[in-house]
Amino acid sequence: MANFAKLSRISVPSRNPKIPVSPYAPINLPPASGIGKYWRLSAKAIRLARHGCTNRPFYHVVVMERRKNQHQPVIEQVGTYDPMPNEHDEKLLSFNFERIRFWIGKGAHISQPVAELLGISGFYPIHPRTYMNAWRNRQKAAEVETKVTE
Amino acid sequence: MVRILHIWLYKDPAPKFIDAETQKLLKSITRLQLDKIFRNRPNPINTVEYKFMTTEEIENEVKKAFTKARELLQMPPIVQVEQANCQVISKDPGLDSYSNCKYVITDITYGVNDSERTIVVRQTDGTLETADPKLRKRINQIYFPLQNRHIRDPRMFEEENLRGCLDRHEYEFVLDRMCIQFEPFEQKFHEISSKVYLHINETKEFDILRSTRHFGPMSFFLAWHKMIDDLVIDMIKRDYLTNAVEVICLMYNLNGIEYDKGILKQLEQFTSSFESREENGFAIAKKGLEKELNETVGKSIEQFKIDEASLEFIDAFCKSHAIKKIQLTLCLQMYKEGNEEKKRLLEGLRKAHGVS
Repeated sequence: MANFAKLSRISVPSRNPKIPVSPYAPINLPPASGIGKYWRLSAKAIRLARHGCTNRPFYHVVVMERRKNQHQPVIEQVGTYDPMPNEHDEKLLSFNFERIRFWIGKGAHISQPVAELLGISGFYPIHPRTYMNAWRNRQKAAEVETKVTE
Repeated sequence: MVRILHIWLYKDPAPKFIDAETQKLLKSITRLQLDKIFRNRPNPINTVEYKFMTTEEIENEVKKAFTKARELLQMPPIVQVEQANCQVISKDPGLDSYSNCKYVITDITYGVNDSERTIVVRQTDGTLETADPKLRKRINQIYFPLQNRHIRDPRMFEEENLRGCLDRHEYEFVLDRMCIQFEPFEQKFHEISSKVYLHINETKEFDILRSTRHFGPMSFFLAWHKMIDDLVIDMIKRDYLTNAVEVICLMYNLNGIEYDKGILKQLEQFTSSFESREENGFAIAKKGLEKELNETVGKSIEQFKIDEASLEFIDAFCKSHAIKKIQLTLCLQMYKEGNEEKKRLLEGLRKAHGVS
């Protein structure tokens, strides 16, 4: 319990009046270093946790115990994923690869969506699912084209 | 305008700008004026503190102020425009149309420099390549924002709005904001800065930039393009002859023109004594009658000697390399007449007070 008290103290952000706070800074989010309690030998997973709001998904790539709910305190946040294309038609994806390597080395599991994203980013081999989606999309496009020509 | 930008693109000014001799000249030209550097600025924290101090303490404070002022006067560098360098990392035809928009992937590992951070793009046809500088800048600003820099360029820098700013002579504001918004190796940085410098050269409002960190780059720009005539005339009118000589030397240096370098050494002795005099501002009061006489006239005998040497140098410049020869000769003549009068006054005063 003493350990938990120590960790929870970290979560309180220091309000130094000299440093201006960004108006977009999250108010009720724990720090990216995480405040989640975990067991050394428990199974951990790198997976997406849904943030954002209704009709506007935004994901954090987090490390947490496999058995826990996504909205419980995380062990560490290691990236973000914005699935909605921005005005330049880009999906923004960020990973802290140093920490991801560390957790993979510790034997963390990787969920399928994260594995796909890591494949797209060139860190992992391309996930079979991505190839499948690509093939299906191409097939659909070809079908539409044949219909148009007919 | 087009010609000027071309030169910045294809000939790298950085080695000449970083050169120790050039830096020395630029710093000297800038003229350190404490009251201008530490003037009241329109920001929320603008308090003045009054204290009782001994003379020694005040001298220490003045020294501190000088070191801080030198830091504040550090010049933004002038470097070549960086070319986009996109490398294809992998090409996979099997991934074609895996998604209908591209992915931008950023490595947000802690403690990595903005310029060294890995940012890659997975295009819709499956190629993985490194991001171009424009995208890199935007992404860096999203994940690691710099204060006061915006993701979209401020509308102030658009052609029409910028013209309005320049017509209101808000040069320092424009240049300061440009330094925050753009990096020195960006095309936009050079476009805006050259526009501002050309506008200043046209309106001859050099004094607005004097004793700010932008005066050095401006003189470098003008010297590089051999357009220093107006600047030299302005300096002569304000009685900054040594600076006029330095600008001319800078122009000779940058364009590889031969000249006699003895004049700079002569000036150096003078400026070093001048600076030490400025730093011990309170020591002046202790000196005797001679100083007082010099102050009433505004110049000492040594200064008159230096003036003569620099006038000779400027005359030579006027004959050989000046573009606005007539204006420059007229200005020089006016200055010489005024100086002659002052010299006569000083000699008369010295004689009356019996100082030899």
